[in-house]
This record gives sequence, C-alpha cells and structure tokens, in this order.
Amino acid sequence: MSADSLPVIRAMQLADSGFPSGVFAFSWGLESALADGQVDRHSLCDWVATELRTRWHGFDRVALAGGHRLSGAALAAWCETIDTMMPVERLRRDSVQAGEALFASARAVRIALDPGATEAERAGTGHFPVVHGDFLRACGLDLPTALMTSAYGMARGAFSAAVRLGVSGAIATQRDLLTLAPLLAELSADIPDDDALPSGFMPLSDIALMRPRDGRLFIN
Amino acid sequence: MTAARVGIGGPVGSGKTALIEAMLRELAEAGIDTAVITNDLVTDEDAERLRKGGQLPPERVRAVQAGACPHTVIREDPTLNMAAADRLEAEFPGLDLILLESGGDNLASTFSPDLVDFWMFVIDVAGGDDIPRKKGPGILQANLLVINKADLAPHVGVDFPKMLAEATEVRGGGAVLPTVCRKGEGVAEVVGHLRREVLFK
Repeated sequence: MSADSLPVIRAMQLADSGFPSGVFAFSWGLESALADGQVDRHSLCDWVATELRTRWHGFDRVALAGGHRLSGAALAAWCETIDTMMPVERLRRDSVQAGEALFASARAVRIALDPGATEAERAGTGHFPVVHGDFLRACGLDLPTALMTSAYGMARGAFSAAVRLGVSGAIATQRDLLTLAPLLAELSADIPDDDALPSGFMPLSDIALMRPRDGRLFIN
Repeated sequence: MTAARVGIGGPVGSGKTALIEAMLRELAEAGIDTAVITNDLVTDEDAERLRKGGQLPPERVRAVQAGACPHTVIREDPTLNMAAADRLEAEFPGLDLILLESGGDNLASTFSPDLVDFWMFVIDVAGGDDIPRKKGPGILQANLLVINKADLAPHVGVDFPKMLAEATEVRGGGAVLPTVCRKGEGVAEVVGHLRREVLFK
C-alpha cells in the first residue's frame, strides 16, 4: 500500500452509505419537491446538480472548510456564524439535528472531535457541515479530500432519498452519479479562501423543506 | 450511569405503542424514570399519541423520522436515535430507561447492538398463527418475544396455546410472553422481565 492510498481508503469509508451519520433521513426539500411536482425522475439529476452548485458550493463547502481549518474558540465562533447565516428556522434546526447524529457517531466510533465543536454541540449550534469538516479532519482527511467526500455525500444522499421514495432506481441513480462526477470534481476543487463567508440562494428547495406535508417520511 | 436502552420492534399494528402506553403505567408505579423515542414511518403520530396519553411529560417523548426506511434507523444507521437518547440523558439526569419504538416493519427487522441493550419484538395473533413458524430474525433474535392481542385468538381461528408453544420452540426456549395490551393483561410480566433482565431494579 502506498502512502497515498490510506487517505483514499479513509475517504471511501467515510463517503460510503454504510457509514452511520444519520444523513439518510434528510431529503433537504427533495421529498416535498417531488410530491409537488417541482421535480420528477427526468429532472432529478438537474435538481441534484443545482443543489450542488448552490447549497453545497455556496454554503456547505465554506462552512465545512471552516470546520476543517479552525479549532477551539474560533471553531465554536464559526458555528455561531453559520447559525446566524441560516435565516430559515427549519433548515437551522435540521442542520443541528444532523450535526447531533454525527456527534453521536463520532462518540461511538471513538473519533475525538475538537473541543470547539463539542462546545458548539452544547450550545445547540453544532451544524452538520461544520461538524463534518472537523470530523473529516479528525479522521485524517486533508481539506481537498474532505470537500470531495462532502460533495459526493450530498449527491449520493439525494439520489438515495429518491430511490427510497420510489422515484428513481438504484441503477438509474448510478448513471446520474457518473454524469455528475465531473461537476463534483470541479466544485470540490474550489478551496474556499480563509476569510470566505457562506452564501446561498436556493428558494425552491428552501421553500420545499419548509412546507408542512402530511405523510412526510423524511426529517425534511 | 447511563439509562438502559430498550428497543421495541414488530410489524405495523401489532401493538407496540399500546404496549408502551401500558408499560408506562407499570414503570411509573415501580418508580422507574423513563423516556421514549418513537421512530414513526410517517411524521410523528406515535409520539403525539404517547404525549397525549399523559403517562409521561411531553418533553420525555421524542420523535425521530425514519427517512422512509424503518430498518435503517434502528440497525444500519442508528445515529439519529443514539443522538436523541444522548440528548434525553443529558436533559434528564437519573433516567433509568429509554424505550425506543421502531416505526413498524417486517419480520426481518432487528435492532443494532450499538443502539440498544435489549430489545423485544411484538407480534399479534390477528397476524396469523403461522408467524412464529416463519422464523424471521425479529422472531428469533429478539431478547423477548411478545405475542399481543391474545384475546382475539378465538375470533381469528388461532389456537393460541399452540402458537405460544411454537414460538417458544423456534426461539429455542427464549422468552415469550402473551399480552392483551389494551386491557393491561400480561404487561406486568413484561415489565417484570425487563426489571429482572435489564434494569436490575
């Protein structure tokens, strides 16, 4: 085994759907958007690409980079900043819930997170993308690999939700993931500057995840 | 000391929520400090039912959505439930017991040993007396098998003593308890089993 292969093996493990982190139960608006006809099996790949270009690239990527780079009080303050920059209450709450699942996973797998992250957990501001950045750093991934892992995880999670909702098949979603691979590589290669702040404009999915719906299967 | 975590699984409609409602009365009388996490397949109906039942303060009943996958949330990826249980323990120091109700699934569902210390599987006679013979992992591996709605046996053509004997046989003598949760029958025995095997209290 070469020295380069260990981080790749770690990244594969951490991006795999078998890694328990709670993300399977979140659809980030996709469930409602499908139910409302805003997206269907034919436009599913476009929906995921748009989420990657907007929610992931504009917001999660920058939040994760801070979680990866910062420690101690600066990391806890970064969690507060991320909290402040999420005006959608539902999104804020769900992001913290997803973060709590990742904290639980880290404790169970015995991965020591930064004290700044655990301080944020106690304060209720342990948002998923930031905690994910710290978590991937603690697992030994460098920032570029952590960003690839995160981007891939978001796309895989959306397609997995679509499969469980019966909208798409496991084979069709693998074709879609192959199609999106160049986009995943392009977006995750964009390393945020140290002073970058997250931004986002995702009205369709933000409204979709806020809409109350009877018979909801996913957390959002 | 952390609270014991006990899973309650079984098919939809077998009486999992009814069992919890009945158990809560017995647990309260025994002075066992309890909280509940439900894994509703859809929204949080079971959690609301338990909150409205008044056996526990509403803040001691948490709902975790199963993401269209009741298997996954208790077995392959139990982290959402682990997080909810961790949060309950932090908010209610001294908690003795956390009951985790599955969203209702088929006979193949099991609880992750990462999540629970003990789990029971609830079936009911109206589902047919052939269920024990089908030997799903839920029937075989659960620490305790509960056969609910025993009073319905004559109405659905089930020979209940035979069903009970077959269930005990396929489980190799593992614990099997009959209940009629709506009437509270057999529930004291279930709670007694938990106190003896899990709570030591």
